This record gives sequence, structure tokens and C-alpha cells, in this order.
Amino acid sequence: MARVIVMDLSRHNTVMVGHDRYFVLDTGGRAELVRDHCPHRGGPLSLARRTPDGRRLSCPWHGTKVGVAAVRRSRLPMVRSGDEALVVLPDGADAPVSVTHREILANLPPDPTHHDEGAEHG
Amino acid sequence: MTVQPQESSAGSAAGDTLGRRLLAFAGSPLFRGDAQVLHDRNPYRRMLVPESLAEPDFDRPPGPGEWSSHRSLAAHRLLGTFYESETVLLPEQGLAGLYEDFSAFYGQELKDLREGSVSALERFAFACLDDAVDVTGAATPEVLDAFFQHMVAEAAAGPSPALAAVAAAGDRARAADLYLVQLALDGLTEASAMSRNLAGAYGPEQSALFKIFIDEFGYGVYDAKHTTIFAKMLRSRGMADHVHAYWNFYLAGPLATNNYYYYLSRDHAKFFRYAGAVTYAEAVFAPAFVEMVAVFRDIFGDAVDLHYCDEHAHIDEHHGRITREQVLLALAERHGPRVVPELLRGVAEARLIGGWFEADTAEQIRWSDTLPRHRELAGAATAAGPPRRSVRTPDDPFGTRCHDGAMVLEIERGEAELFTTPTGPPERMARGDALLIPAGRLYGVRAATPETAFLLHPVSPDRPAAPA
Repeated sequence: MARVIVMDLSRHNTVMVGHDRYFVLDTGGRAELVRDHCPHRGGPLSLARRTPDGRRLSCPWHGTKVGVAAVRRSRLPMVRSGDEALVVLPDGADAPVSVTHREILANLPPDPTHHDEGAEHG
Repeated sequence: MTVQPQESSAGSAAGDTLGRRLLAFAGSPLFRGDAQVLHDRNPYRRMLVPESLAEPDFDRPPGPGEWSSHRSLAAHRLLGTFYESETVLLPEQGLAGLYEDFSAFYGQELKDLREGSVSALERFAFACLDDAVDVTGAATPEVLDAFFQHMVAEAAAGPSPALAAVAAAGDRARAADLYLVQLALDGLTEASAMSRNLAGAYGPEQSALFKIFIDEFGYGVYDAKHTTIFAKMLRSRGMADHVHAYWNFYLAGPLATNNYYYYLSRDHAKFFRYAGAVTYAEAVFAPAFVEMVAVFRDIFGDAVDLHYCDEHAHIDEHHGRITREQVLLALAERHGPRVVPELLRGVAEARLIGGWFEADTAEQIRWSDTLPRHRELAGAATAAGPPRRSVRTPDDPFGTRCHDGAMVLEIERGEAELFTTPTGPPERMARGDALLIPAGRLYGVRAATPETAFLLHPVSPDRPAAPA
């Protein structure tokens, strides 16, 4: 049976499963738990800012643009009920799990100072 | 407390179309109540407190945290009446003397009002679920089962907040009766919502659901029907056993819980959500009834007939297994990932609304059990606005309601009886007496003198009611 963990979204926005980190991304008012990992070199997408059109995240490491749709494909199954969220961890995830709160920039409004540089991903 | 200048009438916000239709519906003589606290053996009459329906703004649905608000209670009373009018209700003693009421209840005039309102009222009553629950991420039968098993295990670990409140009450018998009454809403018409999902053609899952339905209906033997053995349990407590003697004491949370299954089964676009919800319900019933048996036996010993609970504690073990394996997971396997989010949503919503049942019942028990303390709290409260004044005579229709914020009830003239539970003596209040009514708590006032005047003072939000 897959592992299920419980998060209080009023207090926590990040889950560590072993060395893999997931963060709560706001996608149009809906909270989704996505992998905090840029497909380019593994940068922290939670610290990315949105591009002016709001559709991509600009990775803080190399400016790689990652489509929000692509980031969403990494999401873990989650059922939110009020502030409580139940999350099914990936298969075979017997690694230590911790739930924390970190600064997340990816949910801020698009960065008005954004310059269109860096490669596209997703 | 400081008494502010009086305001003679409630606010009127029912200028919208839905509000007008609901007022017209509730204005039927069937729904105006009578002087009795409990309803007679007449399933068509139920007090909808029409004079209080002018207050709610039916353009503003209750939010996720407002399930015990006045407009939520009002909406769910109406919705429950709408839904039950789509079932067959006949009084056990026959229709002699009640045929006119039967005709009016099912008649064209109320039918037109219902049909013109029901979808909008459903959106009003259940809109909060859209914001309260989200399902995201991969949707496979394995994920569905992992979530489901987690939620069921959590529920089975208990304890039930409502049963814990019964066990901890000063007057445990009265608290137990209040709990029974909340179950009676469904217990006396059990599986009516389920019956709406039996028709059609949807393969082995349909047959699995039908097996459960057969159990609910006692395999065609009236004495074994679950509603029959529920009535037996009520009688063993010396309580009325007819639909709906205790209408005035059904709380918003239990009403919403009961209505939820009708809401899902009325609209077959929500079939998969219904399947998730009913699977969750069947799975958590068995441990809940085991707990109920323990609490009730501790209070009443052998003086209460718990055949109904024993039956559920046993048969719902099977129903929990059948619904999980042969309905929930079978539907997910057969119909694929497009339906899994809806199945999961039904599980999560049923769990959430089941929490409303528990919390509402527990809070009402605790408040009713500590009325002397709430007399003291009334003295310490600060009025936040002008009071509302009401005058009653003993012949006036009796109804119950709640308020969105805390109120202090003060008897201005005469004497009154305050009802907060369906059994046991009411709280007698004389001129000058005051009592704090916390937000969302159900109560009714009956004049105990030829004329009784009372005031309702809104209490300042920065001086909320202390926990009961």
C-alpha cells in the first residue's frame, strides 16, 4: 500500500521525501504539490519567478523557462479538504519524510523586471 | 449588559428570485408549524419558520466555515423537504384526515415551486464544497485506494466527537437522545437517496449496490427493514418514532449530511462522486456503530434496544468491503482515470460533511448541557447592536432557529421555555433572565405565560461566546 502523509497547508508548503523536495504551487487558485527541481540542472523552482505571461517559471539558477504545465506534470496525488491535504507518496518511497515551511517565490505575481533570457523547457 | 435602542423588524434580503420562490414555498400552511414542540404523525407538515426566511441572502451561499449558519440551516431544511417530496411518504395510521395535506405536499403548486428552485438551492447549499475540496495529481485505482484506506483508518481510530460529547455530558441520557434524533433524520427514511442510483444499466457495480440496498430494506421483510428497527430503538427510549417528529431539532450539519446523498443521487453526472461518498459512509459506519453501542450501553445498560446498531456494526463490515471492492475500485478499473478524481472527491466530501454532523451534534450537546453557565456568560457579554424584539403567546407556532453570531436572549416580559434538545424539561426563563446563545446553536422559545416578550441582543464579535 502506498504511503499517505497529511499536511496542514496553513503551516506547511514543502515536503521532503528523502532527497526529493516538493512544494505547493498555486495553479489558478488550486494548490498542487509539484517537484522542486528544474529539468535543466535541478535548480529550485520554488524560488523561480513567473514570467510576465504567468505561464512559465524562470529558474533562479540559469534562467531556464519551465512551463507551468510541465511543472504540474510532476505533481503528487493530493486531496485537499480545507487546509488539510493528504498526499500519496511515490511508489517505493520508504525514505524519511518531513513537512516544512519555506519561502516560495513561484506563487508571487509575475516579475515585472523579467528579461527574456535563458533556454526554454517544457 | 447594555441594552441598545430596539429595532422592530428583521432585515429583508429576500428580494431575489430564489428567495421569493422559497418564501412562497415555505408560506404553504404545511410549513407554518403549530404550537407543538414535536410534529404530529403527519409526514407532510414540517416547520420551515417562514418568518425567518426573509433574513437570509440567497445570493450569498454559505462558505466552508459557515455550515452551521442560519442561512445554511434554512436552506437545508428546505432542500430536505424538496428531496423527501420526491419519495413516497405515507403515515402509518393511514391518510384519514390527512388526505388534504398529502395532496398539497405532492400537489402541482408546491411541485412547480420546488422544481423552479431546487437546482439553484442545491448550488446555494453545496457551493462551499467547490472551494473546500480539491483533487489533484495522478488518478489511478492504486492512488484512490491509498487515499481511501487512509481516510477510513483515520475514522475507525475514532473517537467520534459527538459520541464523546454524549459520554462526557452531565445529563448523558438527554445528550444520547439528541444524538439519536440526529440519526433519525436518515434512520427513518434510510437508503432513500441510494434508491435513485439503482435504475439504469451499469454492470456488476449496479448489482453490488443493489445487494446493499436489499440489506437496508430487510430483504423484503418489514420487521427487518432498517427503518423499522431504527423506530424500535427510538421507542425503547420512550421517544416518538414517526417521520419527522423531531424535525425542529435536526441540526444544520446532520441535515446537510442527509441532503448531500440526495444531492449526488439526483444528478447522475455526479454518480461517481456518489459512489465515492457511499463507499466512505459504508466503511465508517461499522466502527461508528460499535462505538455507539459501547457509549449507549454504558449509559442505559440493557434498557435500550440497540438491534439497529448491532445490525449496522455487523452488516456494514460487509457493506464496507462490497462497496470498496465491487463498487469504488471496480468503477475505477472499468472506467479509468477520468472518473477517479470524482470518486476521490466523493470520498473527501463525505468525510468533510460527516465532520459537520459530528461537530454540530457535539456542540449542541455541550451547549444544552451547560445552560446555567450560559446564563452567567450572558451577564458578561456586550451587546453589539440594537436588539430584536419578539412577542409570543402559547398558541403561536413553535419553531427553532440559529444565528450567524452569538446572541443574548433576554426575557423582557412574562416567562418562557427555552428548548435546545428534544427530550427533557425545557429551560424555564422569567422576566429579566438572560442566556447566551452561541453562534450556530439551535434553539426555540415558547411562551409560558399568556404573553411573553423577549429580546435578542447581538453580541460583539470581540467578545465571543466562551466554549461550552
